[in-house]
Amino acid sequence: MKDIDILKTIADNVVEMEEELTAKNSKKALEMNISPLTIINQGLVIGMNEAGRLFEENEYFVPELLLCSDAMYAGLEVVTPHIKKEETHVLGKVVIGVVEGDTHDIGKNLVKVLLQASGFEIIDLGRNVPARDFVDKAKQVDADLICLSTLMTTTMGEMKKVIELLKEERLRDRVKVLVGGGPISESFARSIGADGYGENAAGAVRVAKRVLNIPDALAS
Amino acid sequence: MSEINFKTRLLNAINKKPVDRVPVVCPGGMMNMAVVDVMKATSCFWPEAHIDPEKMARLSLGVQLLGGIENVGVPFCMTVEAEAMGAKVYMGTRETEPRVVKYPLNTIGEWNRLPGLTENHYRVAVVLEAIIILKKSYPEIPVIGNLTGPISLATSLMEPMDFYKALRKNPGEAMEFLEFVAENIVKFGVAMTKAGADVINLADPSGTGEILGPKVFGEVAVPVINKITESIEDATGVPVMVHICGRLLPVLDQLKNIKSRVLSIDAITNLRKVKQALPEKVIMGNVSTFLLEKGTPERVRKAAIVSINQGAGILSPACGIGANTPIENIRAMADAAKIGSV
Repeated sequence: MKDIDILKTIADNVVEMEEELTAKNSKKALEMNISPLTIINQGLVIGMNEAGRLFEENEYFVPELLLCSDAMYAGLEVVTPHIKKEETHVLGKVVIGVVEGDTHDIGKNLVKVLLQASGFEIIDLGRNVPARDFVDKAKQVDADLICLSTLMTTTMGEMKKVIELLKEERLRDRVKVLVGGGPISESFARSIGADGYGENAAGAVRVAKRVLNIPDALAS
Repeated sequence: MSEINFKTRLLNAINKKPVDRVPVVCPGGMMNMAVVDVMKATSCFWPEAHIDPEKMARLSLGVQLLGGIENVGVPFCMTVEAEAMGAKVYMGTRETEPRVVKYPLNTIGEWNRLPGLTENHYRVAVVLEAIIILKKSYPEIPVIGNLTGPISLATSLMEPMDFYKALRKNPGEAMEFLEFVAENIVKFGVAMTKAGADVINLADPSGTGEILGPKVFGEVAVPVINKITESIEDATGVPVMVHICGRLLPVLDQLKNIKSRVLSIDAITNLRKVKQALPEKVIMGNVSTFLLEKGTPERVRKAAIVSINQGAGILSPACGIGANTPIENIRAMADAAKIGSV
């Protein structure tokens, strides 16, 4: 099999939610001496981006996207240990989480998967995260971006708290803030002074790149 | 038409009988209006009011009296069924709702080891007792009993990611689990009507068409929702309303198969379009909860009048209310119903 064929197969495996086949073919690609980063960027990520596109076009929904991401992670698990340190480069560091009072993290997880597939380094704080923790973590890792999610109207106020804390800490100029989730809207994002609003997971990736001035072409 | 009482007006609106004007309700459950202003006025605060039937009843009545809302409704969260079925729940604070902190299921295959919901479970008993108190003291105010929808309850009993994946990977098992969940929801609903609930509201925020996609929404969520509403209505004669969050326009076809007469909708969906597509249904909604919390009374009133003019048969908030929503805004919404369409 040619390199290009196996990479295409891996991408298709991800789109088709084939966890085991993705892992198997990723291993096979390594055995064909294809570099781990090539397998990731031209196989796994291509597949995940395609899954993201299908999600945005309402062909795929949450269950499908979750299974595609499982497949991608299965492939990553196989190839990541073979990456040499100096080869890695990241588009930016992102601290992500669901705000305090809310434990719904599906949306957050989808954004995380797609951001990771696009080349961002993700620090996931999980769900029900106090405002202070976002700011402390962003400071500690020197993050470029904080992504806040909630599914509940009742916890939307927490997002503003994070932005206020960033201002208090004089970090607001250094760290961009994106918000998203069921009840969140563009106008809400503006009203609390966020830098952007992600309407859905794929949209969040686009907005993340826009607010960090990353040209779309750089997104594998 | 002469003055009719709150209960008759709401039941007439649900049953598409004549009314002098649209009723204005705040069902309870995820759509409760137990805001901090009302907690202060009644001295019944969260989280105590979630586990004390007297306080639960008084807080709900406070919303009715101070906000001008035309019903009472309990509970104020979506964790009662989950806790009764084995989930560990944190009761939240004065401003945040209770939430599940530990799921009883590690994998979907274990569902048949879950305890069933019983009327003796303390959370269930608190809600039933509160309904009895409300019913006895204020027979003319309709009592709405609130149930957690099937997908929302299923995803309170196991990791939601795993449940959503199972819907796709393991549909047979997911369906068996959902049927078990539905039976328990029915049990609670029937018990609520025995305690005196006049109307039941079933809300399923985790089971929207946006999350599941039209296919799974139509093939999984809709039949299970129908099974619940029909079982309760057949057993008790009490009407069951259904609240679906999120954008509804992509799943209008599937919604046509919902059997419930009343469909409650979110503010992001255009009420007129839903009404046009589903002319048989009484549409409930859909005053923006963001506006209710952050807007002025005048803007809330205008939004409520827009909802009425677009065809809302029952006026209500669109979704869950923030605990810091000012009581004047709730009153402004209620006033709009009393003015009627303009």
